[in-house]
Amino acid sequence: MSFEYSITYIADNEYENPVENASWQFLIVPENNDTQELIRVDINNSLGVKNEFSENGYGFRTIRINTQENFQKLNFKATFILKKINHNPFREVPVFNIPSNYELVQSLGFRVDFEPFLGQSKFTTLPQSSNNLFVLDPTQSIFDNLQKLNLWVYRFIKFTTGVTHVNTLLDEIIENPKGVCQDFTHLFCALARSNRIPARYVSGYLHQGNGYFGDSQMHAWAEAYVPQMGWVGFDPTNNLLADDNHIKVAHGKDFNDCSPLKGVVYSRGANKTSHSVEVRSQQ
Amino acid sequence: MNSDANKTIFSSYNKNVQLFDEVFDSNGVAKNVYQKLLELYGNHSIQDYVQLNNKAKASFFNQGITFQVYDNKMTQEKIFPFDLFPRIIDEGEWEIIEKGAIQRSKALNLFLWDIYHDKKIIKDGIVPLDLISSSANYLHQMIGVDPPGGIYNHISGTDIIKHSDGNYYVLEDNIRCPSGVSYVICNRTALKRALFGVFNHYKTHSVTNYAENLLEILESVKPKGVDIPNCVVLTPGMHNSAFYEHSYLAKAMGVELVEGRDLFVENDFVYMKTIRGPIKVDVIYRRVDDLFIDPLEFKPESALGVPGLFAAYRKGNICLANAPGTGVADDKAIYTYMPQIIKYYLDETPILNNVHTYHCSRPDELNYVLEHIHELVIKPVDEAGGYGISIGNRLTKNEIKVVQQEIKQNPRKYIAQPIMSLSVHPTYIDDSESFEQRHIDLRTFTLLGNEKEFVLKGGLSRVALKRGNLIVNSSQGGGSKDTWVLKK
Repeated sequence: MSFEYSITYIADNEYENPVENASWQFLIVPENNDTQELIRVDINNSLGVKNEFSENGYGFRTIRINTQENFQKLNFKATFILKKINHNPFREVPVFNIPSNYELVQSLGFRVDFEPFLGQSKFTTLPQSSNNLFVLDPTQSIFDNLQKLNLWVYRFIKFTTGVTHVNTLLDEIIENPKGVCQDFTHLFCALARSNRIPARYVSGYLHQGNGYFGDSQMHAWAEAYVPQMGWVGFDPTNNLLADDNHIKVAHGKDFNDCSPLKGVVYSRGANKTSHSVEVRSQQ
Repeated sequence: MNSDANKTIFSSYNKNVQLFDEVFDSNGVAKNVYQKLLELYGNHSIQDYVQLNNKAKASFFNQGITFQVYDNKMTQEKIFPFDLFPRIIDEGEWEIIEKGAIQRSKALNLFLWDIYHDKKIIKDGIVPLDLISSSANYLHQMIGVDPPGGIYNHISGTDIIKHSDGNYYVLEDNIRCPSGVSYVICNRTALKRALFGVFNHYKTHSVTNYAENLLEILESVKPKGVDIPNCVVLTPGMHNSAFYEHSYLAKAMGVELVEGRDLFVENDFVYMKTIRGPIKVDVIYRRVDDLFIDPLEFKPESALGVPGLFAAYRKGNICLANAPGTGVADDKAIYTYMPQIIKYYLDETPILNNVHTYHCSRPDELNYVLEHIHELVIKPVDEAGGYGISIGNRLTKNEIKVVQQEIKQNPRKYIAQPIMSLSVHPTYIDDSESFEQRHIDLRTFTLLGNEKEFVLKGGLSRVALKRGNLIVNSSQGGGSKDTWVLKK
């Protein structure tokens, strides 16, 4: 069974003084994977320059815009039509061989292969005193433990907007556990990794029900590698497993690798940026 | 004639028999290759040398052959002190150096390919995983990327010393855009101008063929589908300490010298802006550090790079020399595994010796280092240019305590080596107006391309100008000598 999503991403940038030279890179295109397939893409920018498709350093599709003309405003709008396959993550849970799963994650070969998602990146570095905040119970499966971690993070941080920003480190979250999806995801990844479970930051869209526009932003969740299952999505902000409401765009070690919009803009003075996202299902 | 005129250039040469002298053996007799040179130099008076030395200095300054020294507060423009007495390496010794340098470059290249692909050397337990994962220069973006021609370290600068036992040892491999080759060529030019006659008596290999070989190497790693590649040199700009070298290499290769703002990326191809419109670029000899090459992929505040450059590289549309992420292999902690790396990939024993190294990241070795700082050199693993080095026997008790604290706080950051006694060479000293013994090392330049390799027959012999000083880096007040490699 499958159904369709229509996703609209809008970014409006306004600059106090004329910009002479600028490049932007949008990391907003849903990826193709086992549960989703991109059917149509429409992109418009108010500058009338070409939208170039490319890839970021980890192979995820990007849209790049370059301009050498003077301008003060950029309106960017992308619409994606996506086919999503219904899936319930719990239906795929196997019978775990618990001791051999733990043996596997401790093995050198495994740690080498998953090295990028086991280390501490800038945003997934815990203060030294907090490395044991969450410890896996070795009598239970890794999958069960990660669900507990998901719940633990969900309870630990109080969802609050406006307290954190894109550069907030975990030190601040541990001290004052308030934040948004990005902070939940960084904490989940950090604690999974400190227990030697590979975890990666995922950026994407969340379908929250039709009719939401404007206040809805891009969403973040985590994927952890579960032996016998592969990568499984955990959404600690909502205490959910990622399901067919989660539309993945990209993954990386942390937010740094997944930032939806990066720009190099040569201009003086202030600028205003606003983003909005709408996800509609068309069943 | 006054008595000064009779004073020979070597009359106050302070022969310290504890040190390995490159020119005189332990009985004070000049070695074969130097005898003719000493005879020729003996014909000149000290006054001649004072004059020649001043002329040589002025020539460097007038040509703008300068470098900048960074300090916390300010940068200073200096000329690289040049010495009139050349170093001579005979063909037998050179053969060892050349083979050893190529061996290391090839092994490093295979190592880099491996750690960005299958990582077999780590899975086989030869190199610890932690050395890679904790290295700031290991770029995850390079995992699975195949650089054109399979080459990562197109240009390697290997620093070699001769110890008091008369053997050569490698101090470090520099594969993050090593600099210094322009001085090799300038030194040769300056010596020819000052004392051209001496070249008639020696069959010395030329060093001016470096640029043509570099261009051939760069052309050999052109992207697929390109017939005649367009190569450029990418410089951070005129304020960079090695700007003279960037401009020299571009001029000598006959290619354009560009800054990041001269290039742009369109549809994942790289173009150069010219007055006749855009021209496609295929190979970039970049002298801009990894994290500054593309603000959209790495440091967003970098104004030195080109937005989209890394995407073009991943697609295989442009070749960057050296490849991004190469720096992980010139981490000084990796250096200590070089013998194992050479054995693993080439099944050979190292031709050039490594200096024994203690890893502060290993608890038992850390303890040894902390207790023996007075007889060790302590080096940070990731700094270049001789910064952050502590030489144990020069430290006061308090300074030793400070170093101990620093190491304890961040053991992964430090390695330690026995204090090597660098060989000495007669060097003209301004203050005493005569030749004195000074410590020297040798930086060799090795090029690796697609089925092509080259070692510059010559190199930069760097001189520590302060008596007894062991750090020869130009940024630490070192000078240099013309270095002759003799033909068979």
